[in-house]
Amino acid sequence: MNDRLEKRLADIVLYGSVGAVLVFFYIPIATLILFSFTESRFLSWPIPGFSLRWYGELLADRSFWSALGNSAVLAVLATLFATVLGLAGAFAWSRYRFRFQWGFRVLTFAPLLFPQLLLGVVMLLWFSVLAGWLNMSPGLWSAVIGHVVYIVPFCIVIISVQMQGYDDTLDYAAEDAGATRWQILREVTLPLLWPGIFSAATFAFLLSWGNFYITYSLSGSARTLPTFVFSGIAVGSSPIYPALATLTFVPALVLIFAVDRLRRRADRKRALARAAAEAG
Amino acid sequence: MAMQDKSWRDGALQLSTLPLLVIFAAFFVIPLGMTALLSFQGTQYYRLVWTWDLDIWRDVFGQWHYWRIMWRTLVMALVCTALTTVLAVPIAYAMINRLSKWSHHITLLMVFAFLTDAVLKTFGWVLFLDRSGVLNGMLAGLGFGPGAVDVLFSPTATMIGMVYNLLPYTIFTTALSMARIDRDLVLASYDAGATRLRTFFEVTLPLARPGILAGAVLVFVLALGVFLEPKVMGGGTSPMAAELIRQSFETRVNWPLGAALTIVLIVIGALVLAAAGGLAAIRMRRSKA
Repeated sequence: MNDRLEKRLADIVLYGSVGAVLVFFYIPIATLILFSFTESRFLSWPIPGFSLRWYGELLADRSFWSALGNSAVLAVLATLFATVLGLAGAFAWSRYRFRFQWGFRVLTFAPLLFPQLLLGVVMLLWFSVLAGWLNMSPGLWSAVIGHVVYIVPFCIVIISVQMQGYDDTLDYAAEDAGATRWQILREVTLPLLWPGIFSAATFAFLLSWGNFYITYSLSGSARTLPTFVFSGIAVGSSPIYPALATLTFVPALVLIFAVDRLRRRADRKRALARAAAEAG
Repeated sequence: MAMQDKSWRDGALQLSTLPLLVIFAAFFVIPLGMTALLSFQGTQYYRLVWTWDLDIWRDVFGQWHYWRIMWRTLVMALVCTALTTVLAVPIAYAMINRLSKWSHHITLLMVFAFLTDAVLKTFGWVLFLDRSGVLNGMLAGLGFGPGAVDVLFSPTATMIGMVYNLLPYTIFTTALSMARIDRDLVLASYDAGATRLRTFFEVTLPLARPGILAGAVLVFVLALGVFLEPKVMGGGTSPMAAELIRQSFETRVNWPLGAALTIVLIVIGALVLAAAGGLAAIRMRRSKA
C-alpha cells in the first residue's frame, strides 16, 4: 500500500474514533438535558413543547433537598478525610523506604481492585455487626467510612504522581537554612505539592458525589442524589430526574474547568520559577 | 527524587502510615474476614444462626441457577473487557499523537462525562434507546418504522451501558502509557524503513502494554461487579452476580448465602487475573528467549 494512502486511512480511523467516542459519551447527557425541558409528563420523543415546569417540581420536592444535603455532607467529609490520608499515604508510598513497604502498598491499593458493590456489601456486613454491638444503625457515618476506603487509593496515586516531579534539594536547602521539620513541611513541601493535593481533593469530591454502589450499600435509610435517582427511576420515570441531571451537570463542569485553569497556572508559575533559577 | 530510608520508630513514618493501616485493617481486612466466617453460618426465619457448617457452600455449588448467573457474569465481564480494551487503543493513540493541540480539551470533556453520576447517565441511555425514545424517534423521522431499534431491556443494552461506563478507564490508562513512549524510538523505526502500521504494531503497542493491561484489569474487576446496567438497561431480565448477591442480602435476608456468593465472585476475579498474569509472564519469557 502506498504510504500516502495509508496515512489518509489512519487519519480517518483515528480522528473518526475520537469523534465517535465523544458523541457516544455525550449521548445520554444530551438526552437528559433535552428531556429536562419537556412540557409533557412522559419521557418520549418527540417532545410536545418546552417548559421549565419540571425544574419547579424538582425544587418543590423535599426528598430532593434532603438527598442534596446528604450528598454534600458525605462528599465534603469523604474528601477531607481521603485527601489528608491520601497525602500521608503518598509520603509512605513515594518518599520513604521502609520494611514491609510492599505490604503497605498492597493493602492501601487493594480496594481499587475490588468491585465496588462487593466492597460495600462486605463493609455492610461488618457495620451491621458493629451496629448491633454499639446499638446504632448504618447511616451517613458508615457511608463516609466506605467512601474514604474506596477513594484513598485514588488520592495516593494522584499525589504520588505530583511527588515524582518534586525537587527535594529544596527541602535540604530549607534544612540548611535552619528550618524545623514542621516548617519545611508547612512552608516548602506542602505548597509545592499543592496542585497535586488540589486535584486529588477535586477527584475525591467528584468520586464521592457521584458514587452509587457504596452509598447504596452503606447509607442505611439516608439517601444521596444517586440513590435518590435510582430508587425514583425504579418506581417510574419522571422528568424531574432529567431536570436534576441538568442542574448537577453545570456545577461539575464549572468545577472541572476551574481546577484545570488553576493547575495550568501553577504549572506555568513553576516553569517560570525554574527558568529564573537557571538564569540566575 | 531520592527515597529516604525510614525505620518504623521514625515519627514521620508512623504519622504517614499508622492512621491508614488502622482504617484499612478495621474497615477492609476485618470485613473481608468477617465475610469468610459468615459463609459458614446458617439462617432460620430470617435470622442469622451460628451453625459453623458447610450447608451454604453445598447449596451454592449444588444449584444450577447460581452456576448459570456466575457464568453469564464472567462472559459479560470478559466481552466488556475485550471491547473497551480494543476500542481504547485508536482513541488514546489519536489523542496523544494526532490531536495534541486539542488533547487537553478532549481529555477534560471525557473526564467530565466520566465523573458525572452513573445512575443519571444510565437513565439517559434508557431514554435514548427506548422504543419511544430519541433514537427511534429520529429513525422514524427518516422513514424507518416505529421501534426500529429494539435493544432496550436485553443483554445488548446491558453491554452498551457497561462499555459506556467503563471505557474511560481503558482510554485513560492507555493514553497515559502512550504519552510516556519515547518519540525517538518511533522515529528510529521510521528511519529503519518500517511503515507506520508496522511501527504501530511493533513499537508503539508493545511499549504501551503496561497501560493497556492496567486498564483491562481495572475494567474486568469493575465489570464483574456491575449491578446498575443490568438492572436499569437490561431491565432485570438477565441478572448478573451483583444483583444475585444484593438479593440474597436484602430480599431473602440470607447473609451467609450473600457472603458465600461474594467470596465466589472474588475468587473468580482473582483466578482470571492470575491466569492472565501467568499467560503474560509465559509470553514474556518466550519473547526474551
